[in-house]
Amino acid sequence: MTMQIRFEMPSDEALLLKDMAERFVADHYSLAQRSRMLAAPATELPAHWPRMADLGWLGAALPEACGGLGLSPQQVLPLIEVLGAGLVLEPVTPATLQCATVIARLLPEDRASDVLAPILAGQQIEVLVAGPDGMEPAVSARPVPGGWELSGTVRLVPGGAAAAAFWVAVDIDGAAVLRVPAAEAEVTAYRLLDGQAAASVCFDGVLCPPDACWTGARAALDAGAEMALFGALAETSGLVAALLRATLDHVKLREQFGRPIGRFQTVQHRLADMYICREEVRSMVQLAAEAMAGEASDKRRRLLSAAKVKTGDCARAVVRDAIQFHGGMGMTDELAVGHMVKRLLVLGQAGGTRAGHLTAFSAAS
Amino acid sequence: MTDLLITPEDDAFRKQIRDFAARELDPDTRAKVARGAPLSREDFLGWHLSLHAVGWVAPSWPTEHGGPGWTARQRMIADEEFFRQHCPPMPGFGLKMIGPILIRFGSADQQARFLPRILSGEDWWCQGFSEPGAGSDLASLRTRATRIDGGWIVSGSKTWTTYAQYANWIFCLVRTDPQVKKQQGISIMLIDMATPGVSRRPIRLMDGTEEVNEIFLDDVFVPDALVVGEVNMGWTYAKALLEHERLGIGGVGRSKHLLERVRGMARAAGLDDDHETRSRLAALEIDIIAVEATTLRLLAAAEAGRPLGAETSLLKIRGTEIQQALTELALDIAGQSALPAAESGCLEPPFENVAYQFLNWRKLSIYGGSNEIQRSILAAQVLGL
Repeated sequence: MTMQIRFEMPSDEALLLKDMAERFVADHYSLAQRSRMLAAPATELPAHWPRMADLGWLGAALPEACGGLGLSPQQVLPLIEVLGAGLVLEPVTPATLQCATVIARLLPEDRASDVLAPILAGQQIEVLVAGPDGMEPAVSARPVPGGWELSGTVRLVPGGAAAAAFWVAVDIDGAAVLRVPAAEAEVTAYRLLDGQAAASVCFDGVLCPPDACWTGARAALDAGAEMALFGALAETSGLVAALLRATLDHVKLREQFGRPIGRFQTVQHRLADMYICREEVRSMVQLAAEAMAGEASDKRRRLLSAAKVKTGDCARAVVRDAIQFHGGMGMTDELAVGHMVKRLLVLGQAGGTRAGHLTAFSAAS
Repeated sequence: MTDLLITPEDDAFRKQIRDFAARELDPDTRAKVARGAPLSREDFLGWHLSLHAVGWVAPSWPTEHGGPGWTARQRMIADEEFFRQHCPPMPGFGLKMIGPILIRFGSADQQARFLPRILSGEDWWCQGFSEPGAGSDLASLRTRATRIDGGWIVSGSKTWTTYAQYANWIFCLVRTDPQVKKQQGISIMLIDMATPGVSRRPIRLMDGTEEVNEIFLDDVFVPDALVVGEVNMGWTYAKALLEHERLGIGGVGRSKHLLERVRGMARAAGLDDDHETRSRLAALEIDIIAVEATTLRLLAAAEAGRPLGAETSLLKIRGTEIQQALTELALDIAGQSALPAAESGCLEPPFENVAYQFLNWRKLSIYGGSNEIQRSILAAQVLGL
């Protein structure tokens, strides 16, 4: 298959989703509203999960046959960018881009629809449990009479705090996935430094019947990992753009030495560098989206790794200067800047290390 | 190196370019480009004539003036593929600068007289923009033209004039009205290098080449027929020129060409499995992909009807940063193999031009609007600062 990288403009449907998301964020995600939501226990279903279901966002990237909207990564991108920039606390990427993708790819169509229905209806959250790359097992499974017995603890399961069930990647003569109701595992809920709910989950002694086990899961896990990486990249893109906007607004208003600090050339040139970073992030994330829609797996993974490295580098540069130009105010908890910086920190650390992606990219060239 | 322009139509076009270059390019010229050696007038002209024979020498010109009718996307593919086949990068002073200016602003007589001779290679143009006192602040130029009957008397000097030693014509920015705001009193004049009063002094660069020159204009007569468009509109025309071929300024083809050369150096030095070298090569390849993806994204926007603005300055900044970083990586790989002087006869392939290219390519972030000027353009025109 040849790649069709054309950088097509977003469709009307994609722009509609984006507009709705912008309104939603403006209405429901002021810093004050968000900090009230953070006061709720991490184990509660996040406040706007059902509403996001109503708006069709939770199934945006899933096939129509499974109850989704069937949108390509390119068409989902503007929506995820807005949700990322809006600092939403609902685990859209882990639950709907990653876990739901694995379910849709792994299970027979009718079974997948049944399993996904309560998730897409906004009634519950289910997330994948795998190694940091989203593909490798993080838990071991031993055959016992009546199924499989699990052992192992996974310390960081994104979105796991309020999950009703875990889809656990294991090795049973190859990649397999087991579905474990949360009540059967020992879940310790907590929040990450950016406020996102996560959990440490201990699976020791959990018994899993054969009808909750799916083997031959390699392709499904890979697809889920790619969607998870893509989701993080898309959120990063939205956040980098938002940080540039905030910094630009600030340097135009903030006066020192009798003029806005944006009149100083050293500030102007570094804002130009932040702008370049935003543009390069946007380009790489769109490139990754197009590659995912149409490219063979080796090249797709290679471009995803390239996008991860480049967006990580650019995001870090933007984080540095966004804080720097906000000065002391940029250090506080009172502006959105600090919250966006922490979110970018989390997104940058997840989904594999820079060194790992650079090596993967290099090995494939 | 990853190519992004690879739809089936792209592939067919690319193959056409590749086959042509493989067939027509002089082997000695190819070998020089492949090792980054300085090129002679004959290297450039030979390739120019091959391209002209099939009507490909002026990719960006409209077909009625002799362009091949390629789309912007095809021009990018051609540029990339010509680099890959080690074709000489054609100096743009005639084809990309004064040609498009004349097409847009020149008189019918000027078009009929000059455009065919640019295409055929009969005329070699050089550019008289910078002056000793007017570099980044180009609009402060002081070469002045005084009105006389039937034309102008021009006096002043120009500098950094690339390949003026090969040129028989120069297009100059000159001050035709010293009374108005500095940008508003400038005109573009076409000057025959053989006109009495025109003289040239080569400038020897630290890499030993003499690719740039100083040009002295002492009471040079320029007839009215050789003033481009309207008098005092030169700055506006020059700015329009800067917007021409904006998408090419990322130099993706050039970067990929050097990246592959540096990869070859790493192999030759036994460093192809060295972790640090591999990481730097991979990171630079990703940087190139980012510039290429940004170029394509801007191209898609332009094709969808959004005019390109100053945002293309970012392509120049990032493209030249990458190319300079590649020359530094090449130095690090070459170690002391890069050290003998060019004339010593002791330099060995593939390292014979490593140090000289590092020195010569410092120009990339200086010319064509320095990277600091480009950042100021982004800040002012894109960010509103």
